[in-house]
Amino acid sequence: MKVEGEHLFNGNQQQVWDLFRDTEVMAAALPGTKKMELVGENTYEAVMNVRVGPVAGEFSGQLVISNEDHPNSYTMTVDGRGKPGFLKGVGDVVLTNQGANQTLMGYTGEVQIGGKLAAVGQRLIDTVAKSIINQAFETLDNALEERGKAEAEGRKADYQQSSEGDYAATVAKDLIKNVLKRKDSEES
Amino acid sequence: MTYKVIGKRVRRVEDPRLLTGGALFVGDVNLPDMLHAAFVRSDYAHAKIISIDTSSAKEIPGVVGVYTAEDMGEAWEPGPPLVSPPPSLEGVTFNSCRQVPLVKDKVKHAGEIIAVVVAESRYIAEDAVEEVYVDYEPLPAVTDLEKCLEPGHTLVHDELDSNLAAHLVQNKGDYEAAKKEADLVIKRKFKLDRGAAAAMENRGIVVDWDQKNQHLMVWDATQSPIPIRNGLAGRLGLRTHQVRVVAPFVGGGFGPKIMMFYAEEMVLPWLTMKLNRPVKWIEDRKENFYATTQEREQVQEVEMALSKEGRILGIRQNIIHDTGAYDPYGLTIPLNTQSHSMGPYDIKNYSSELSVVFTNKIITTPVRGAGRPQGIYIVERMLDIACRELELDSRDVRRLNFIKPDQFPYDHEIIDQAFTNLVFDSGNYQPAYDKAIEKIEYDKFINEDQPRLRAEGKYVGIGVVPFIETTGVGPYEGARVAIEPSGKISAATGVGTQGQSHMTSFAQIIAEQLSVEVEDISLVSGDTAEIHWGTGTFASRGAVVAGNAVLAAASDVRKKVLKLASKILETPEDELELEGGQVRVADIPDKSISLGELAVLANPFRGAVEPGTEPGLESTKYFGPAYGATAFGVHGMILEVDPETMMIKIHKYVTVEDCGTMLNPLVVEGQIHGGVSMGIGNAYYEKLHFDENGQLQNASLADYLIVGATEMPHIEVYHQNTPAPNNKLGTKGVGEAGAIPVPAAFAQALENALPNYDLEITETPLSPNRLFELLYRQED
Repeated sequence: MKVEGEHLFNGNQQQVWDLFRDTEVMAAALPGTKKMELVGENTYEAVMNVRVGPVAGEFSGQLVISNEDHPNSYTMTVDGRGKPGFLKGVGDVVLTNQGANQTLMGYTGEVQIGGKLAAVGQRLIDTVAKSIINQAFETLDNALEERGKAEAEGRKADYQQSSEGDYAATVAKDLIKNVLKRKDSEES
Repeated sequence: MTYKVIGKRVRRVEDPRLLTGGALFVGDVNLPDMLHAAFVRSDYAHAKIISIDTSSAKEIPGVVGVYTAEDMGEAWEPGPPLVSPPPSLEGVTFNSCRQVPLVKDKVKHAGEIIAVVVAESRYIAEDAVEEVYVDYEPLPAVTDLEKCLEPGHTLVHDELDSNLAAHLVQNKGDYEAAKKEADLVIKRKFKLDRGAAAAMENRGIVVDWDQKNQHLMVWDATQSPIPIRNGLAGRLGLRTHQVRVVAPFVGGGFGPKIMMFYAEEMVLPWLTMKLNRPVKWIEDRKENFYATTQEREQVQEVEMALSKEGRILGIRQNIIHDTGAYDPYGLTIPLNTQSHSMGPYDIKNYSSELSVVFTNKIITTPVRGAGRPQGIYIVERMLDIACRELELDSRDVRRLNFIKPDQFPYDHEIIDQAFTNLVFDSGNYQPAYDKAIEKIEYDKFINEDQPRLRAEGKYVGIGVVPFIETTGVGPYEGARVAIEPSGKISAATGVGTQGQSHMTSFAQIIAEQLSVEVEDISLVSGDTAEIHWGTGTFASRGAVVAGNAVLAAASDVRKKVLKLASKILETPEDELELEGGQVRVADIPDKSISLGELAVLANPFRGAVEPGTEPGLESTKYFGPAYGATAFGVHGMILEVDPETMMIKIHKYVTVEDCGTMLNPLVVEGQIHGGVSMGIGNAYYEKLHFDENGQLQNASLADYLIVGATEMPHIEVYHQNTPAPNNKLGTKGVGEAGAIPVPAAFAQALENALPNYDLEITETPLSPNRLFELLYRQED
């Protein structure tokens, strides 16, 4: 499965870079993340709950950052396994300065999934993957704003972890959006 | 020959039990103290097993044991080769790699079994399966049929030097010489993909080892109970009489239930003997997608040489056939493909190269049609394409090329699935073809209906495809028929039933011979306690091979009846007749004796049986044909394509079948209805999607679309009877026939419906999505 897209952040390139390399922020951004810790140089171990339609369960795995070109790009490799199957992915993240305190984050990647997740969840996986990413961006936007505020106010930033409930709501919202989009194009 | 019972539309005697829930299926078998098994299956299509940790699964209360390959010790051995090619075949490469009960070191397809959990309930067993931790080293998966033969490609079986499972070339005449004479040579590449058999009842096994009796009881939803019994006895070091295998009612077989041995069939008997308790496993639907065999995946390059009149001068073919991770079933499917690649046509030159490849996908074994649909698909598609190029009416071209009635028996000079010469025993093709053309109202459709409907903006098309089906192959089957003292008849055959109406059609043969009511005959099929020898239900052969064994046994009983009655009634045998369960003197109806009374007398209480005779009115006989019986048929369809959704509606569906003598037309028609529904699935709905990593992506009935009542047309079935010359009943098989020509007819009708799109279909199954892509040239 191919994953690609972009998102415009309200922050300069260095701020966005720091945001992405902050374990605490990333753990907060990815819905269902139970644990994420740095275990070696650029290697993280994570435990995450994933729900794709009828398939649900805990995944544990490694996330490795490589090809770092500070503060422009890096490669992210994910290798996770759990009761519902496995997922392996590799993707490139590129940050570009858009001026006016804005940074464009672009990502492209290839994800391989297997087991129940692939066999039974196939139909929903695209939407779910997009939802996870959208949800993550929403949290990251907030986190970036909070960081700015905290810095200005001279206090420690307090991140709001997106709950699995929020995530479920996002998936439902995206599914409905898809259906409505389809209906619109039929009517037009 | 005129029959009184054979050929009549007798209602199925098994239906009351089936329809009221009174029939036994493996799932109904529940024994005291019974344990339940669940399997740990690989998520990866190709991976090395580094370690297996069963410790936390074993701690779950209610779990009796968790076992891996290592625990099986010497009982661990691969399944037997079912039909390896004989060494007498020249120039054949065949690498036999068979499935294993539990994977030892390397997983070769997703769904393969790594460990088994046995617990007090299936719930507990399933929970414990999730607690077994397998550490894998994933390997690249072998999935592409063409690329997998390239040098240096990842290997499915490391002990081999390539992914080639088998290779052979079959030649008839001289294709290259024929090609030089040709006015037109066309060449196309075909992609034929996988589907599931998707029987309503999944597989299931209940095993019970009786330590005191030293006896193993097995209920198995198999098409082949006797070979399962023989194989299990051999594997477990038992005598055959210590093992009884019962295949009770089975809810659909379609081929995959004759695969032997499935891993589960090897593991469960070992478990019951180890644990000394009954063990049950019923396959769930997801397992059915991952663990039950599939079919039809091939890539073919085909060349056809023709004269300008449309005479087929020759065919050259290169088949790459996917056997999946193992090849227990040998070459049956691709040999069938070759046997059907010349269709019903008189083709003098044929050259076919076959490569069978291993991939990291589920094993393929015959599924209703078994390689035949692929052969019919390519020859009929090539003919349609050639007729367009030659600007000839495809109906005339088919008539021109049919094998003529005086050419039978027609020796094709190549070998078939039984490794004997491919000989078509009999046939009369053109009348059946003409009848289909007439019944579908071909001319009226082309000249009146289609222009009118096109003017209304409707996309309607017609397809008519003839086909042959090689049926009724050996080696043999047996039957036992006995008259009970009650006057009722008991019979048995080793050919188990998965819905084929054996209990009715075979009873009709007996009723004909003994002049009793069909209802008075009780036939057991699929219980090794009732008959010792036999092979199973496959290859459209029940009515031919078992049917003629039943006939032989019933006629022998009839002889015994007449001989004994002649003595008792003091009348010569030729003056006796059988009627309504009585033997009577033809001219003196009062002078009679019932079959029951004769059965009592045939088992003397005092005195002795006469020297040279046996007690009882009973006989066991066998039948084995020298070669098969070739059935014929034609399917015609008119369909409409919705140009926006690409959904299909079939307006008319006509079949003409020639399966020789029909035992029961109701049953024949039922077989055709079932076959057509499977064929429509194969043509337009049912495709198993594997990704390049060997992951099956639609392993549920929500995503894998089985044809339902809404997709089924009304089917008109017409019959023609060209009796098979090599068996007494004159029967030919019909079990697979319905599925064989449908994808080819579908493709022809679609092309006819969409004339403005320059559509040329060379793949199956299609789908609404795929048709859309083909029409708008959005290739994958």
